[in-house]
Amino acid sequence: MPFRLPKLLLGSYGLLVVGLPLAGLAYALLGSVGLAGPLAAGCTGRYWLALGHDTSLLYAALYSAAVAGAVLLLSVGLALALVLGAQASLRRGPLLGLLYVPLLMPTLVMAFYLFQLLSRAGWLARVSYQAGLTGRLEDFPELVQDAAGVGIVLAQVLLTFPFLALLFQAIYQESRLDDYYQLTRTLGASAGQFRRRVALPLLLRRAAPTLLLSAVATLGAYDIPLLLGRPYPQMLSVYLTTRLQRFDLRELPAAYLAGFVVAGGLLVLLVLALRTIRRHAL
Amino acid sequence: MRSNLLLGTLAVLFFVPFVLLALLAVGEGWRFPAALPPAYSLAAVRGLLGPGTDLLAGLGRSLLLAGTVAVVATAGGFGLARAIARSAWARHWEVASYLPYALPPVLLAVLIQPFIIRLHLSGSVGGVLLGLLLMALPFATLLLRSFWTRQATEYEQLARTLGCTPGQALRQVLLPLAWPLLRTALFQTFLLAWFDFGLTNVLSVGKVRTLTVQVFAYVGEANAPLAAVASLLLLLPPALLLRLNRAALLRKNP
Amino acid sequence: MKKIFFLLLSAATLLAGCGTAPNEARTPQQTLAQSWPQIENKGKNQPVTLVMWQGDPLINQYMNTYVKPEVQRRYGIELQLVAGQGAQLVQTLAAEQQANQPSEADMVWINGETFYQLRQVDALLGPFVEKLPNARLLDLQNPFINTDFQQPIAGMECPWGNVQFNIIYDSARVAQPPRSFAELPAYLKAHPGQFTIPNEFTGMTLLKSWMIALSGNPALFRGKFDEAVYKKWSGELWRVINTSKPYFWKQGQTFPEQLALLHQLFANGEVAFTFSNNDAEVDNKVNQKVFPATARAYVPLPGTIQNAHYLGVVRGAQHPEAALLVINFLISPEAQLKKMDPNVWGDHTVLNLAALPASQRQQFERLPSRRYAPRRAAIQGRALPEPDPEYMTRLFKDFRTYIIESHAVPAS
Repeated sequence: MPFRLPKLLLGSYGLLVVGLPLAGLAYALLGSVGLAGPLAAGCTGRYWLALGHDTSLLYAALYSAAVAGAVLLLSVGLALALVLGAQASLRRGPLLGLLYVPLLMPTLVMAFYLFQLLSRAGWLARVSYQAGLTGRLEDFPELVQDAAGVGIVLAQVLLTFPFLALLFQAIYQESRLDDYYQLTRTLGASAGQFRRRVALPLLLRRAAPTLLLSAVATLGAYDIPLLLGRPYPQMLSVYLTTRLQRFDLRELPAAYLAGFVVAGGLLVLLVLALRTIRRHAL
Repeated sequence: MRSNLLLGTLAVLFFVPFVLLALLAVGEGWRFPAALPPAYSLAAVRGLLGPGTDLLAGLGRSLLLAGTVAVVATAGGFGLARAIARSAWARHWEVASYLPYALPPVLLAVLIQPFIIRLHLSGSVGGVLLGLLLMALPFATLLLRSFWTRQATEYEQLARTLGCTPGQALRQVLLPLAWPLLRTALFQTFLLAWFDFGLTNVLSVGKVRTLTVQVFAYVGEANAPLAAVASLLLLLPPALLLRLNRAALLRKNP
Repeated sequence: MKKIFFLLLSAATLLAGCGTAPNEARTPQQTLAQSWPQIENKGKNQPVTLVMWQGDPLINQYMNTYVKPEVQRRYGIELQLVAGQGAQLVQTLAAEQQANQPSEADMVWINGETFYQLRQVDALLGPFVEKLPNARLLDLQNPFINTDFQQPIAGMECPWGNVQFNIIYDSARVAQPPRSFAELPAYLKAHPGQFTIPNEFTGMTLLKSWMIALSGNPALFRGKFDEAVYKKWSGELWRVINTSKPYFWKQGQTFPEQLALLHQLFANGEVAFTFSNNDAEVDNKVNQKVFPATARAYVPLPGTIQNAHYLGVVRGAQHPEAALLVINFLISPEAQLKKMDPNVWGDHTVLNLAALPASQRQQFERLPSRRYAPRRAAIQGRALPEPDPEYMTRLFKDFRTYIIESHAVPAS
């Protein structure tokens, strides 16, 4: 590789991934003080001062965090169980290929599908009615647009866990964990000990950055909570879109402010999480 | 036995969507409490594939755009990950790579649009490409970052010591070694671009009419058969691609 | 890192703050100063981009299989339809203007608050309506057409269609729907779980109609927004809805965020009521077999909001003349007749039928009639004008506060 190339590559990469988002953030910041955006009315701290009285953003953030936490926990658990518990099947046969199938579904299609499957007049409800399990519409459990966000979590897990399983499997192969497995067995460790002491920490450590990304992606999910969630509490993206697209243009600065706060908050969260990952890395 | 049960469960779980979508696509007047459609019709299929839409051209555009994004992001990510691994500022570059994800996509599109307009890229493929790479490139870089461990560097150095040119070391040692991660990166970045509606539609002011942009409008609408046909249209090309690339994607590690 | 941030911040300030002198080939005034033959000359063989809502297959089909080939045949215009609406559209056009760049869009399909907002950011070209030869056929004396949410259209947008809010119900499940807004609470109490309010544009039209019904005096809502009127009657509305809320779908714990979602709940049989801003939509949806054949539509007493939707030309359009040619075609008797057919779209015409030659008028009168929606003549007496956009803005905000989030309604 020529000497200059990496620098050039990194430089333009920096311009793209740092420059553009920061420019966007700066635009949001300027918008929140009335200096940018349509109908910008000149410098004002009004919207920042009003932030203190607005609990809806905090509520949306907490709800999103709860959903993202549940999704991450369930997906990692399922993916690890698959990769560590069914390693033999993953190496032979069609199981690995099968895991690619859910990745083909865009989030909106997943949301539409689960709505048609799980709502109280959906396919499962119809089948259960025909089977005599439920009598009236209301007898069927509330699985979408429910208070706890079951529908959202289910949809996100269905999309996330196969991806994580594929990732873990790739790391498993690339790190030659199988060789280690043989080695630890020769040294007298049990299969369970190998999984817990060797494979699990290594997989989690190497996948940590991607896990973080997937958690952040869930935090910012839009289509799924829009179709399967409730208008209150809302997840962050739905909340932000609602504010950005309100019928009142005069509310835009408050929306820019909310966007700035969310992006800033996520950034701090990312940096903190990365620091933690770093501390536990090799 | 246990493995068959697992396979069966996952197969059912993953293929029910296709069955239900197919039923919805051809079912007519299907509502509670009928377990199966009372009548079947191809009206929705005809409605979406009928005259006036340029789905075929859209399919081509989508494939081209998503393919470009996948290749550029994966190749770029591979090189960038290496450059980052060797940089004195590796930590900072890694943190920087997360920056685009601090903005939820719906927010990102709105906030970078003014800059895309000023760069004279609004309404063009270039603007869309830039927006998609903003999402895909750091993703691939971070995913592939885990490849450039000390071990990989040692393999590379070993290969060079044994007389490989840098190109040979890349082709014959590093790429095969990184292949499981590379294929994941390729596949994921392809899908990321393939399924994108928000960024593409906002940054191109609706003018880059990919297949997704054309059919997405129907997916969330009231007409369930049409939404189902549209969903299947989006699913089938990548499914086909997956089928064709099955051998490549699932190649056993040496 | 910090340095970069401040550098970018100042760059962004520069970009956002200052504009340079306009360098477009011609000003909007110059465009509009041309005679119609000049416009025709310049507009021919140009591409035109129309930003529109694209969620209805019948509307898309009308545009794709009829309008597109016709404007191609008549003027060699290549019409490109792109998806977009509402606040997103306003933000895009405003950003283009601030960047002092020609727009990627030429024409927009708008009404109400989008019209209001686009005028606020000065993104519309005009007045242009009187330039159109077909404008003399428009029913511009009709207050439901010449006024858009209490704003005189003033030639800045051209009427395209006219619709009235209506309630759609499944007659197989609902024997006798409530005939008036006054009967609605008692009906809901007797039949729980069938009814909900979508938290979007159509739902807000329902709330406006309901609020006007409660006041008993539509005249109160004419003219500019009146804080006292709003406070009094919205407070009343929230009290009525909160009392009925336990009998809503899912006990009023949640509301659909989109009309499409409510339509799907209705199509699946989960609720028995849905709504439409287009009085012919029920025919259109039954014809597509999306709604059951037992679906019917009606207008409850004392009436519901009737409004029009419009076409505007973007101020920074690159092909404004071609856009004018397309709009002139869209309000031609042929295009309007085709659009009004319930099997095509079912959108009511904005033409003054009396101004048409007898043969054309008869064509309109002989259109296949609606089968599931009430006749236009039967509901015209129950039409209420749109109040100021501010009413909707406030209802939307307060519906969230007092109904969705269940905060206490302050005593008025």
